[in-house]
Amino acid sequence: MSGATSAFSHQGPVNIAFGALIVLLYVFLMAPLVMIVGASFTGGLLIDFPPQGLSLKWYFEFFERRDLVDGLLMSLRIGAITAVVTMTVAMMAALAGQVLSGRLSGWFQLGMTLPLLVPELLTAVGLLFFLYKIELGKTVVGLQMGHILMSFPYAYVSIAAAMRQVPASLEEASASLGATGWQTFRLVILPLVMPGLAMGGIFAFINSFDLYTISLLLKPLGGNTLPLALFDFLTYEFKPTAAAAATLSILLSILGVAIVQKLVGLQRAF
Amino acid sequence: MRLPNPRLLLAIPAIALIFVFMILPITNMAEMSFRTTGTKDPFGEDYTLAHYLRIFGDTYYWGVLLRSLLTAATVTVLCLLVSYPIAWHMSKAKGMKAVFLYACIASPLMTGVLVRNFGWMIVAALNGPLNETLMALGIIERPLRLLFTQGLVILALVHVFVPFMVLPINNALRNISPTLIEASTAMGATRRDVFRDIILPLSFPGIYPGVILVYVLAVAAFVTPALLGGQMVSYMPTLIIGELTGTFQWPFGSALAIVLSLSTVVVVAIFTALTAKLMERSKA
Repeated sequence: MSGATSAFSHQGPVNIAFGALIVLLYVFLMAPLVMIVGASFTGGLLIDFPPQGLSLKWYFEFFERRDLVDGLLMSLRIGAITAVVTMTVAMMAALAGQVLSGRLSGWFQLGMTLPLLVPELLTAVGLLFFLYKIELGKTVVGLQMGHILMSFPYAYVSIAAAMRQVPASLEEASASLGATGWQTFRLVILPLVMPGLAMGGIFAFINSFDLYTISLLLKPLGGNTLPLALFDFLTYEFKPTAAAAATLSILLSILGVAIVQKLVGLQRAF
Repeated sequence: MRLPNPRLLLAIPAIALIFVFMILPITNMAEMSFRTTGTKDPFGEDYTLAHYLRIFGDTYYWGVLLRSLLTAATVTVLCLLVSYPIAWHMSKAKGMKAVFLYACIASPLMTGVLVRNFGWMIVAALNGPLNETLMALGIIERPLRLLFTQGLVILALVHVFVPFMVLPINNALRNISPTLIEASTAMGATRRDVFRDIILPLSFPGIYPGVILVYVLAVAAFVTPALLGGQMVSYMPTLIIGELTGTFQWPFGSALAIVLSLSTVVVVAIFTALTAKLMERSKA
């Protein structure tokens, strides 16, 4: 470091090394996703990157596989119900959380995000026993409840963050002009928190779509979600069809990221 | 006395959801771990300490527990080393570049763990891109068998958890005022001094939650070892799920889960105690 007299000569090599490191780290982050998308378009018979020629045949193959398509449909259905229920429950909880202050508010936040902080494995094992006891073991309803629970914090965090941006004075003004609580909510608060609410729904849907461990333990008789079906497929067949299925899942998450950017901006969302 | 705000009633469905479908079931699991082994049902009527005695008396379970705790610690340290430069670089970015970098962190985060692990199966295949790159660079002569090794499990877990570490550290770094760094540089501090005395302690409020979250989630990660670990080595989560779904030993599986959770809490407590000084400095 003898060249420290000139800031330029000192920083040059360090910055170049740092830049190379950053590029390498992003390659590490993106490589697995890029490989999957690439492998899904292969014209060959093996999962391989770079792909052997280009074709869409593995997508056709995917849509001809009953087990995978049934899994996809089940995941979409459970995800949609999860999104609607968590958005409603989280909206109500966020409205209630607004009137708390100080330490109580902190505890409330913590409680609402518990399913995110406790490992999925523990919740899944506990739920397996509990659903068996209340005779909902191995039913779609039980699995649905597990997904709602696990996705709730994502909806709550997004909606609560949006609620914090609404100035309290607006509510007071609305009330002093004679609006009922419901009118204030529908005409003042709801339009303002709409982007946050939508984002919460998207996060909840995507989280539900991706859940594996809890679905494995709670899976209903004869029903598979897409990740469960994909795991079995990878274990027994390992064909590019799996890459096509995984690409659909990646597209969904990229779509989610794009919508979130449009709605609230990624920087504020994360 | 002031009456509680009636709006609080709106929290009832959320509290009920978390209490009934999470707190109650986990309490239930703790109780289950003391049940006797059932003959007809997955568990018996009476209570016993036998499952815990069996775990503590068998070095096999000690070994698996230790492997799980150490693997998670390795994953956490590597995760921190990978995430810190990314978070640093991200915290400096503005405008469209920042949006792009956030998208690069958010897209893997929002893609399922199973899908991302599958990506590593392609990367690490015998004639896959990783082996071919290493051979082209002359680092290895023959392709390495990477699939179904502990190394790949660790690599894939780091990949899964990097976003969880990057985001809080990035937020902490963004809160450091640039004037603080300029002032200390002007007073003759070297880059290394600035990093050690200002940036590192002030970013600790982001490092701490990141480390805890990644460790807790990594200890209990099931999908990655199940898909990429192969049959040769066991981790606690694969063992637990095996007891529950394979052999239907619910009480014993619960006891394993409780032992795993308590060990995790102990590790987190030790980490918190060891870093208490750093945390204090960050507040000063």
